[in-house]
Amino acid sequence: MLGILSRVKPAVGGEAPSSDKKKKNKGKKTPRLEDYLAQRDYLGAITLLEFQRSAGERQEDADLWLGYCAFHLGDYKRAMEVYKSLILKPGCPVEVWVYLACTLFFLGMYKEAEEAALKGSASQLQNRLLFHLAHKFNDEKKLMGFHQNLEDVTEDQLSLASIHYMRSHYQEAIDIYKRILLQNRDFLALNVYVALCYYKLDYYDVSQEVLAVYLQSVPDSTIALNLKACNHFRLYNGKAAEAELKNLIDISSSSFEFAKELIRHNLVVFRGGEGALQVLPPLIDVISEARLNLVIYYLRQDDVQEAYSLIKDLEPTTPQEYILKGVVNAALGQEVGSRDHLKIAQQFFQLVGGSASECDTIPGRQCMASCFFLLRQFEDVLIYLNSVKSYFYNDDTFNFNYAQAKAAVGSYREAEEVFLLIQSEKIKNDYVYLSWLARCYIMNKKAQLAWELYLKMETSAESFSLLQLIANDCYKMGQFYYSAKAFDALERLDPSPEYWEGKRGACVGVFQLILAGREPRESLREILPLLRNTGNPQVEYIVRTLKKWAKDNRVSV
Amino acid sequence: MEKKERQKLITNQHYDESVDVNDSDEITSVYSPSPRQTGSRKTRSQRAAMTNDSSDEFEEETKNKKKEPASVIQRGLMKNEEEDDDEDDDDDDDDESDETDSDEDEGDPGSALEGAYDPADYDHLPVSSEIKELFQYITRYTPQTIELDHKLKPFIPDFIPAVGDIDAFLKVPRPEGKPDSLGLLVLDEPCAKQTDPTVLSLWLSENSKQHNVTEVKVKSLENPEKNPKAIDNWIESISELHRSKPPATVHYTRPMPDIDTLMQEWPPEFEELLGKVSLPTADINCDLGEYIDIICGILDIPVYKSRIQSLHVLFTLYSEFKNSQHFKALAEGQKSNTSSAPRSGTGEAETLTFD
Repeated sequence: MLGILSRVKPAVGGEAPSSDKKKKNKGKKTPRLEDYLAQRDYLGAITLLEFQRSAGERQEDADLWLGYCAFHLGDYKRAMEVYKSLILKPGCPVEVWVYLACTLFFLGMYKEAEEAALKGSASQLQNRLLFHLAHKFNDEKKLMGFHQNLEDVTEDQLSLASIHYMRSHYQEAIDIYKRILLQNRDFLALNVYVALCYYKLDYYDVSQEVLAVYLQSVPDSTIALNLKACNHFRLYNGKAAEAELKNLIDISSSSFEFAKELIRHNLVVFRGGEGALQVLPPLIDVISEARLNLVIYYLRQDDVQEAYSLIKDLEPTTPQEYILKGVVNAALGQEVGSRDHLKIAQQFFQLVGGSASECDTIPGRQCMASCFFLLRQFEDVLIYLNSVKSYFYNDDTFNFNYAQAKAAVGSYREAEEVFLLIQSEKIKNDYVYLSWLARCYIMNKKAQLAWELYLKMETSAESFSLLQLIANDCYKMGQFYYSAKAFDALERLDPSPEYWEGKRGACVGVFQLILAGREPRESLREILPLLRNTGNPQVEYIVRTLKKWAKDNRVSV
Repeated sequence: MEKKERQKLITNQHYDESVDVNDSDEITSVYSPSPRQTGSRKTRSQRAAMTNDSSDEFEEETKNKKKEPASVIQRGLMKNEEEDDDEDDDDDDDDESDETDSDEDEGDPGSALEGAYDPADYDHLPVSSEIKELFQYITRYTPQTIELDHKLKPFIPDFIPAVGDIDAFLKVPRPEGKPDSLGLLVLDEPCAKQTDPTVLSLWLSENSKQHNVTEVKVKSLENPEKNPKAIDNWIESISELHRSKPPATVHYTRPMPDIDTLMQEWPPEFEELLGKVSLPTADINCDLGEYIDIICGILDIPVYKSRIQSLHVLFTLYSEFKNSQHFKALAEGQKSNTSSAPRSGTGEAETLTFD
């Protein structure tokens, strides 16, 4: 049903404005500013204002109107310029300072915004602005002060709700919106705010429902259509989301910057990062998610350094930012072996995973698991990973961590299974993968498979380590045949007495297994040359004993 | 579900008495290193990680405290791997075989392993004392506990779509103070379809007869091949603009007859004559100026000093006839009839042809 609705609505939306426009032109009357404002056609309004100015028609408040239009168009830079030139004029109304402060606020120039706001006269708008600035400055004391000054009027309450929203207190925000909606049924825009809150709470279908109320009356709303696409992205996939966005692209005229940037950004998201390097860098600090997405892109490309340099100066405020900082620090910490980064990562993970809002989300659980993983508390890692396992059946990253945790607590059989699910060649060539898989094989009495892992490796420090692992773990598990082979190889690389002792014990172990009937007698033939490889005088004694037994038992050696 | 998992872990390990078996595994391996250190090069970072955490492991630690001085733990934190290998090697020689037994008693990780080698399993073998002696070589070597590195592959979050911010009501009010209900009745966002400023300013200057064309900025389009919609929109709006333009009016300096008057029928005698004699063509032996005078004379268009304005009236008259549905039909019905309306090649053609 949603699908049908979505196709019909934008089609209607696309036509409505153009028929209006024809009316305007056919009427051949000079258009009125009010008509453009009613349409929220600010480009039209600005063009008209500029034309009237050049024609010398309108003087009164022309600049104020220009500022108003530029501001609501989202062209804050232009609005700022208008207000800056206005305040220089004698007799300029004092509230223009607050307007200027509003533009500075949206341009991210918070210090300047505060200065300008304080030059204006006290008003509700000024208080709201200072309230939000205190939030940006993380100044709790001031925040409380301006909070006290908020009045029980709609605008102030809505402004308070937006602070709740920014602090991830979505339920509190929803409460305010619903209360105001009860009193003012026609405040349809509030439905979109509620939908935004539900989106942030991961209730995407509820968000869709509430959103539909607004789209029914304003079918071509950029924000609402974009949110709908985002809901589709979360509910279904990137393709479904892109289809929704296409509707918006068809409607929006090419001269509309705000929508264009949003669309460009989200297309990259919906297409799994396609075009990220072209699209995202110019959008950094324009769209707040752009920086995070670029970091995610670099992480996916294994470019941890680039990811780190992008995010290191970011002061995290949202769970997503904390998570990403944690992830980048964890990746970097392991790459360069920095305890400091790992410590930071673990703290961020703990913060998010332990927070009331995130502890029951999938990313929250992943955070807790990562935190315990860095602390090497694998029992706890498993508790958290098990709770989200069903979402990651074929996820190599998940399986890699999960299998390690399983192996670390001694569940080698499950660990082996999960390790073998991994497809990524990069992971499969990682020594951590190889060594843990080898250990699983040995613990599960499949020493031969472990030995084959060694045979496939190039000679390196890692293959040497793997030999040590095979030699000792096999010894422990009484799989003496491969232990002997591994000790022999080690001894040839490094003739230390330790390897000899290991080989000696392993060879005798093979003999013992033969006597116990747990190893074929023919293995004896392979053991003797291994022993002879060593020039130790003990060899002769052992070999003599073995040969004697072989002779007595008619085993050819 | 979590509980179940814990239970499963326990049942998996028959030899264990508590949940933390595996932790204790690691701890014994950390705090009771086997005589030789070659195998445990990779363990240092892990030790470091273990020492600074959880409290439940701490109890286990204390058990082993006597045996292993705290300095080893500290060293683990330092992570200077190669150096302390040598130190360890020094005291290796003494405890070669005599300490291994006690190690095992203390809970060698191997003994806790399911399916690990147990020499007792082979005690029953009926072998000579010589071979029994040989078997002792097996226990004389204690396999190293090799600590393996772990690597957390950090989960990379999904890309994050932008939904925009919620309205904070930090907005500039209308200059005259009238409420605009932006953010209440409708979202405070520009409508998706904004007027093209270029088209509007062309239209405005057209309508107000103020041709300050120099001010009109015509934007350019990047990647036009990828954006046919923008081009179509532009062509559509410009042609609409042209359609809506009022026809140009010319103010004649001298009196000119009304076009409607000029379109009146000629007297019947004249029409009759035209049936026999055709109008003079451009082949007539005179220059262009004289020919214009002749034609204007026939069509009752006065010619003053300059012929320009008379010609304008002439072409306006032509255009009126050409666009008149009535005369178009008439002309098509009576092609042979040479009427006052100048014939054109086809009804649609724009060329003015005097035969």
